[in-house]
Amino acid sequence: MLTQACLVACLAGPTALAKDANTPSKHSVDEAQLAARGAQIYKETCQSCHGKTGQGIEGQYERALAGDLSLGSLTKLISRTMPEEDADACIGEDAAAVATYIHNAFYSEAARVRNRPPRIAMSRLTGEQLRQSIADLYGHFTKPPETSDQRGVKATYYNGTSRKSEELQIDRVDKVIDFDFGTESPGDGIAPQSYLIHWEGSLKVDKTGRYQIVLRSTCSCMMEFGSRNRELINNHVQSEGRDEFKRDIFLTAGRAYPFEISFLQRKRKTKQPPARVSLSWIPPGGIEEVIPQQNLIPEQLADTFALQAKLPPDDRSYGYDRGTAVGRQWDESTTATAIEFAEIAIEELYPKYRHRYRAEADENRSVLKRFLAEVVTVAFRGKLDAPTRKLYIDQQIERVEDDGEAIRRVMLLALKSPRFLYPTLDTEHSRSQRTANRLALVMHDSLPSAPWLVNAAAKDKLQNDSQLTNAARRMVDDYRTHAKTLTFLNDWLGLQNTDEIAKDTEQFPGFDPNTIQDLKKSMNRFLLDFIESDTSDFRELLQADWRYTTKRLENYYGSAWRSDMPEGQPDTPKPRATQETETQETADTKKNQSIRHAATQIESIMSRSIQDREIHAGVLSHPLIMSNLAYHRTTSPIHRGVFLTRRTLGRVLRPPDASFTPLSAELHPDLTTRERVQLQTGEINCQACHEQINSLGFAFEHFDATGRFRRKEKTKQINAAGSYTDRNGKRVAFNGARELADYLAQSEDCHHAFVEAAFEHFVKQPITAYGSGTADKITKSFQDSGYNIHELLISIAVTASRQPTAATTTTLRPQP
Amino acid sequence: MRHRNTRREFIRNLGISGAAANLVLALPSLGWEASGQKKQRVIFVFSPNGVIPKHFWPDEEGEKFELKRILEPLAPYRDQLLTLRGIDNRIKGDGDGHMRGIGCLLTGVELFPGDVQGGSDTPAGWSMGISIDQHLKNKLQADANTRTRFGSLEFGVMVPDRADTWTRWSYAGPNQPVAPISDPYQMFNKLYGNIQNRVMLASVLDDLSEDFKKIEKMVSNEDRQILQQHAELVRSVELELKSELQKATEQKTSDNTPAPTDHAVPKLPPNVQEQNDNMPLISRMQTDLMVNSLMSDFTRVASMQITNSVGNPRMRWLNIDEGHHTISHEPDSNEDAYEQLIKINTWYSEQVAYMAKKLKETPEPGGDGSMLDHTTIVWTNELGKGNSHTRNSIPFVMVGGGLGFKTGRSLNFGNQPHNRLLLSITEAMGHAEKTFGNPDYCGDGPLTGLV
Repeated sequence: MLTQACLVACLAGPTALAKDANTPSKHSVDEAQLAARGAQIYKETCQSCHGKTGQGIEGQYERALAGDLSLGSLTKLISRTMPEEDADACIGEDAAAVATYIHNAFYSEAARVRNRPPRIAMSRLTGEQLRQSIADLYGHFTKPPETSDQRGVKATYYNGTSRKSEELQIDRVDKVIDFDFGTESPGDGIAPQSYLIHWEGSLKVDKTGRYQIVLRSTCSCMMEFGSRNRELINNHVQSEGRDEFKRDIFLTAGRAYPFEISFLQRKRKTKQPPARVSLSWIPPGGIEEVIPQQNLIPEQLADTFALQAKLPPDDRSYGYDRGTAVGRQWDESTTATAIEFAEIAIEELYPKYRHRYRAEADENRSVLKRFLAEVVTVAFRGKLDAPTRKLYIDQQIERVEDDGEAIRRVMLLALKSPRFLYPTLDTEHSRSQRTANRLALVMHDSLPSAPWLVNAAAKDKLQNDSQLTNAARRMVDDYRTHAKTLTFLNDWLGLQNTDEIAKDTEQFPGFDPNTIQDLKKSMNRFLLDFIESDTSDFRELLQADWRYTTKRLENYYGSAWRSDMPEGQPDTPKPRATQETETQETADTKKNQSIRHAATQIESIMSRSIQDREIHAGVLSHPLIMSNLAYHRTTSPIHRGVFLTRRTLGRVLRPPDASFTPLSAELHPDLTTRERVQLQTGEINCQACHEQINSLGFAFEHFDATGRFRRKEKTKQINAAGSYTDRNGKRVAFNGARELADYLAQSEDCHHAFVEAAFEHFVKQPITAYGSGTADKITKSFQDSGYNIHELLISIAVTASRQPTAATTTTLRPQP
Repeated sequence: MRHRNTRREFIRNLGISGAAANLVLALPSLGWEASGQKKQRVIFVFSPNGVIPKHFWPDEEGEKFELKRILEPLAPYRDQLLTLRGIDNRIKGDGDGHMRGIGCLLTGVELFPGDVQGGSDTPAGWSMGISIDQHLKNKLQADANTRTRFGSLEFGVMVPDRADTWTRWSYAGPNQPVAPISDPYQMFNKLYGNIQNRVMLASVLDDLSEDFKKIEKMVSNEDRQILQQHAELVRSVELELKSELQKATEQKTSDNTPAPTDHAVPKLPPNVQEQNDNMPLISRMQTDLMVNSLMSDFTRVASMQITNSVGNPRMRWLNIDEGHHTISHEPDSNEDAYEQLIKINTWYSEQVAYMAKKLKETPEPGGDGSMLDHTTIVWTNELGKGNSHTRNSIPFVMVGGGLGFKTGRSLNFGNQPHNRLLLSITEAMGHAEKTFGNPDYCGDGPLTGLV
């Protein structure tokens, strides 16, 4: 939620400050004149000895003109000493002019930083990259991550409490786990006194963070999570009064966690409890809900490990996470990470590995050595040379007798090593290996662990652009890429912090945490659909005329939010998923619906809304964004306008000259929000920026502080007329969010901004570091591909992973 | 003092790893010096399936008694021994004899209705109340003078990897069974993992610094900056750890008297799997860890659950191939089985004797006498006798001076509910209660004649 006091802070973001350094302000006009005069003097008098950019001239003055004197001191120095042959020739105002010019052009530290071309800086793994890398390091020893189009949970219902195939009565996919069987039978052929239900599936996680898993069961139940035999909940014994099991767990996005649940109603001499069971969660920043069908997959995918260690947040001053800070807290978190991974290696990976090679003789702990060499090879993203292998493996194993201790030692050393922590520290590896390392980093925030990619790297088959493109293409349809894209789109939509949205309850009754959670899910599912769709057309994102909705959202937002499905069939099959399963299940679902699902859940069932071009005016007018960019009671055209200017259109805004508190709505009861904003920002000084900000933000005025469509504010008709002047100076006018959305979909500025933001999110390096024409080139190919985001990711990945050809490699090679 | 060895010799004999032994700090030892009171500890030891009473209970009562075969291993501690015959587990309600045998043993209260069906009687769930060890933990932790790092530690020996009424005897509250830790390495990690990892980190960082030098050469000048910063960080962490270790060593060598910070980290034999045939070794490892953690004052309450109710270990090391529970159902007339059951119970008795031995050999840190003088082992069982499933005359044998009872005696209480014994224990630990478990069985308060 935005409070009034934070207005200025929101406007004066660090990005603006950084990007604004070159923009002359009104006060610097005199200075500019002085510098221009200085430049002239420099050219005539100084350049012959010092060089055009102060770099020095051989045989004359060879050292570069660079230092940390203040402008004043530099002026005095010049006045006193320069030019060498006649120190009196440049004094007073002339000296000041020269000093001003060179200080700003190349002398000062600031100038030198400014002049340095953007470069690809080496950085350590970010927190998310560390989590993903650890997950794939684990996954290397199980199975590569898989995906599935199916949704729901596989369920087998047995008569009696053992899983004998002859007692299997029902075999189907349940949408969610939320049942109240009472004392009745869960289905035909099953005795109500004695039955077993076994659910298995995978939990698909789209956002990294702390979750709470809540299993409620009045009967005996067991739950394994992450891998077979990794017990999460053990309620083998049903005991009266113990029917709620909560587990906090940190989960990594882009992963599917296999699980299984056994639920047993046991026959007994005493009275049986009515049978109820549900599987819920509290997602990060959310409220408790039955785990939705969208997050359930009816098969157990590859075993998965999620790091639990707490990692410090990464630097976000450039608008994307960067691993640039190495400090105590971070160092300790890498220790915790190494130890945690060592434990899971001891517990799960090594026993499995030993089992696999049980037929082989194990002389001199050779199996252990090979196991550790494999872990370290994957962690270091490339083959180990002899000295590295000796240091990291052989020497460590020699020191301890116990295998577990040896694993701990090696993990501690290897996972704290720069060879693991700095993903691009790989100059000693082959070109293809380096390419693979970057592909995995860009696409998955991870390291190469899938066999095909590891092999391609080993066989040096990632050399040319077409090999690279094919590899990148193979990596797009992957939950890890989907999750990274989802995070990116959330960033791009300004939705990183929606945990605190809250509005005036008197003015907006019904806009409660449940509604907000539904909005988040509506947005999330819309974005995921977009990401997973084959066309994934960026323009559709901006122009869609429907939303995902629930009964609850319809109740609050009105009839345009009603489901497009006929009554009684609220679950819309989503395009690519579950169609078959759902229709197949409808018959018996209907039969048992009354006893099976708790009534509260009906409100949350999600489906597509009807189409409405005006009310559903693309993703930007989604109530989650509209309410995020609004005050407690009123809208904020300024926040909306700044958001559009900076993020959507990629334009630079300088911070306001001073801090302003918005005019109070109460003090101006006759004015609409639009009028109040105009009143406050009408001054000529403000208009330099607010002309642009306001006229973009006003286009959303039909959406109130909770994003609900309105035609009037108080008694006046909404005026949503707006305009924009693009980079080329062309002015466009639009009326309302729909016209704005349609404009943005074909706006060059918007495409550019999106491409640049995507590049920086995925690569975590400035796009300009990859050559000055790169942004234009990628934007062009994005447009040519029909605005396909998958194609965009592929060209980003290829651009960032391409290694210089052999001829030029030497220049990037390390110094001896 | 009775012990002959110097403290240093003692620690050496304990088998301590080089660097680890010196690393004595960072192990919190709350309440060590705070109180002038005598330190009291209590350990509960469980073995399953009842005993052979004829070869268990001394025939005589009072101070003059002869130890029977099963208790013979405890002969060296006769002066500190107390046998308590005639104490019954009277708890009724849901659950079969075994379930109530273990589930009500330390709780003194009924089991909840549930769905775990035993061989007879009704099914049941978990206990309706807290067990005495957890109750004492809460009491001791509530007082700064007796507060310790863990409050209580629950050890297991070959407890099966499943949670049910037969595998739990400790309860943090109603419906809150506490799982024992059966894997010695897991227990080691819980006790010393942090410290062990620090020792390991110190030695690993040296190798890492070596590699840093090589790695720095792989990058450009500009990129080297972050690596150098990182290398400095690693170096400073390494130096800190080393000086921490150094200080600890100096502190220790400077004086021969027992220092309050003298916590040794025991060394476990490597690569021991949790398998039936390793049971004797695991029992040793767990006992060593327990005594060590008591010595370090990590806790003053501990429990050692050897297998579980209906436990069925095959004691092949005694040349007994069949499982204990299976044999325990044989009638007394089966002479082979009868003899085997005596041997099996004697083996359990030896485990208690080993624990007593370790405690006796260890000087009381910062106090007088041995640790056994300040610790009472309460060895008990789910049943009085295996083939009858009786819960009358539950085996209760105590060794040691922790509870301050008058030892060196054989007592017979007739038929007293075991709730009264639980009341005696909490009273002896300085936290008298009016009732514990089901109040119906607490009528006459703590047992008389123990002190």
